[in-house]
Amino acid sequence: MSEDPRAVTRRHFLKSAAGVALGMVATPRPLPAKEEYDLVVISGEPVAATQKALEAIGGISRFVKKGERVLLKPNMSFARTPEVGATTHPLVVATVAQACVEAGAEQVLVLDHTLHRAELCLERSGIREACKKIPNVHVLALQERKFFQEIKVPRGKVLERVEVMKELLKKPVLINIPVTKSHSATGVSLGIKGLMGLIWDRESFHSRYNINQALADLATVIKPHLTILDATRALTSGGPGGPGEVKKPNLIVAGIDPVAVDSYGVSLVPWYGQNFKGRQVEHLLVAHQRGLGKLDIDQIRVLKEKA
Amino acid sequence: MRTLIQALSLSLFSALFVFATYRLPDWLPADIYLRLDPLLGINAVFAAREVINRALWSLVIIGTTLLVGRFFCAYLCPMGASIDFLDLLFFRKKRRQGLKLETGLRRVKYLLLIVFIVAALTGLSLAFLMDPIALLTRFYTFFVYPLAVTGINLILDLVRPLFQALGWATLSHLHYFQSVYYMSAITLLIFGGIILLNRLVPRFWCRYLCPLGAFLSFLSPLGLFKRRVSEACNQCLKCQKNCPMGAIPDDPRRTLLPECIQCRTCANVCPQNAITFPASLSLGGEYSQVDLSRRGLVYSLAGGLTIGFLATQNPFTLRQGRSKLIRPPGAIPESEFLRTCIRCGECMKSCLTNTLQPCLWESGFSGLWTPKMDLRLFPCDQNCNVCGKVCPTQAIRSLSLEEKTHAKVGTAVLRKEMCLVWAQNKLCLICDEICPYNAIVFRPVEGYRRPVVVASKCNGCGFCEQRCPVKGESAIVVVPEGEIRLKEGSYVKEAKKLQLEFKPDPGDDKYIVEDSGFKIEKRKTPKEKPPSKKPKGFL
Repeated sequence: MSEDPRAVTRRHFLKSAAGVALGMVATPRPLPAKEEYDLVVISGEPVAATQKALEAIGGISRFVKKGERVLLKPNMSFARTPEVGATTHPLVVATVAQACVEAGAEQVLVLDHTLHRAELCLERSGIREACKKIPNVHVLALQERKFFQEIKVPRGKVLERVEVMKELLKKPVLINIPVTKSHSATGVSLGIKGLMGLIWDRESFHSRYNINQALADLATVIKPHLTILDATRALTSGGPGGPGEVKKPNLIVAGIDPVAVDSYGVSLVPWYGQNFKGRQVEHLLVAHQRGLGKLDIDQIRVLKEKA
Repeated sequence: MRTLIQALSLSLFSALFVFATYRLPDWLPADIYLRLDPLLGINAVFAAREVINRALWSLVIIGTTLLVGRFFCAYLCPMGASIDFLDLLFFRKKRRQGLKLETGLRRVKYLLLIVFIVAALTGLSLAFLMDPIALLTRFYTFFVYPLAVTGINLILDLVRPLFQALGWATLSHLHYFQSVYYMSAITLLIFGGIILLNRLVPRFWCRYLCPLGAFLSFLSPLGLFKRRVSEACNQCLKCQKNCPMGAIPDDPRRTLLPECIQCRTCANVCPQNAITFPASLSLGGEYSQVDLSRRGLVYSLAGGLTIGFLATQNPFTLRQGRSKLIRPPGAIPESEFLRTCIRCGECMKSCLTNTLQPCLWESGFSGLWTPKMDLRLFPCDQNCNVCGKVCPTQAIRSLSLEEKTHAKVGTAVLRKEMCLVWAQNKLCLICDEICPYNAIVFRPVEGYRRPVVVASKCNGCGFCEQRCPVKGESAIVVVPEGEIRLKEGSYVKEAKKLQLEFKPDPGDDKYIVEDSGFKIEKRKTPKEKPPSKKPKGFL
């Protein structure tokens, strides 16, 4: 990544946003002149809030330059309709995709390795339908090993190698668009847990490895340039597949620091009827300890606005 | 003209076959060929001993055959078309002498028909073995369709670099789901055998073996159109040599009416243009009789009864309903199911997840080729109800999604000695994660949170069994216990009566569920819980 033309701006950013631990892949652009924030939190309807969030974080053009390839990673792992809360809201995905195209992206791939049958997930989640009319946007579920390739995890503690989507190796702009939901093994499934949708062997995370360690390992190699947490709905119990209790925070949380986004996401709603902090979610704590991002809410600078 | 109609009919049959997926619209009867087949209809109605609505469609074929003659074989039958086309491909230039045992062989199909009908009367569905439509549907399901998918994927893989170079993202990642089936090889051997027999005489199958053809032959002489040879005939015997059915006797002016399928090949090859097919009310006299021979009749009656006896009076019969088989949701009670199912394989073709697989001997001879769910292979998807929609005899009832969800096929049972959590204290929750009905809950036992099945919420869909990461056999398996098999009436009502619930239950704390029938010593609300009893993943 050293030949990346955006290296200078990254350095600049790192300097200005000291304390934000950024990964190799992350290549943020300079923020607008106003105060700097780790996160923007916008309340409102899905489309308006997403647009406003993109604007508040400095505009999509900060992340996507003309002619670039973009990989959007929503959660569409389950064949569930949006109101179940197990998948990312289709309008949030479509709004981000539209913005990328308008910023001049050559191609926008919306990808996930789904748990349920692919066609059904694309259909039921409503994501394919929502993105249908946007040019150069392709919504796909990759279910075949031939679309994955093994990479090393140099900083991995339990995970030495992992097969990831080949598309990732082409170094696209990666935008993670997780939904806010509970998860029966990892407490919550937000951005970092959502990265499991980019790998081939999901099962080994549950059976072979300690899933919390493995997730942190994975987060050391897959680093989204931007995480847009869809908290328009939150599945606060019964996750990850639902059915369960669905709350409606009507929020969009966007940020570059993946741990900060998730940690903030944890604090948004009570889970299973209890309030938790990001520090209480094991995989987030481990990720934070590996230097992948901020964990404590009082250290995260948040811009709150209404759409 | 005839070839064109045949090609159209075969294409229609193939297209309907392709359309038989979970997306099948309600108005499209993908199983129409199977419904129209009178042999399958009679077989199912006799064996099940009741009128099956969809089988009434076969009256259309019976009626038209009574009116026109045995035209079905020459024009509509997709099996006949396949035989004719493959004949052109393989054996066109081969010389075929004809068979000496002609008359005797010709009788075989009638005797088989009697065997099948008698077997059906004893309650054994057997016609599927040789019914051409069922046979071809099976061949398509178990061989042609998976092969086609393999071929298409192979081509896609070959041109993938091109798509990638062109930046066509969707095509670059296109891959079709590869269905696989047990018994593909057997099905291929049977179909291949039928085609190979053509090496001996054209349409060997139709002439000598096809029980559906035999059935139509009985009706055929009553038909309106009959072959007539005019005085211009010079007895060149060209018609006799070319007749694909061998329906022209030594005297070419005569016609064996039951065998004539009105293909009009004779009229086309006649150098004298002496052959026409006018409408005629005469019955054709001696040539319209079907010669069964008394001995043949007795043998076939005895054969049918014997097979019926052997297949239905055995331990498998007593074990019906006690076997380990998981039947598709909506399958009627086992003994009726076995009598009604015609083993066409349409349900297995259309099955969204490929969990439906053919039985070999699991429930004895009478269960051959019936559909079972192989849940270790694939689960049953809750958004799909196509198996019942395409079942031509409604051995699997056509249900709405809501009804189908309540058609419980079995119950998941956790084998603790194999479960990673119970036996090895590992952090595994895949069964819980994947369960669409929240039927698996975690409960603290001996210091660990361990999965437990809530039987009243499990409808046996098998997601847990399929996804269980334990190697070899799953640590959580669906057994038929608790299955609901209704011949009529609502599954939703029945499930309610049994106090089952396959529904989301929002607002409830799912990580400790207390209504599973297991005794929990003390009920605690989440707030009072000590830290160790936090939901999984929270510290």
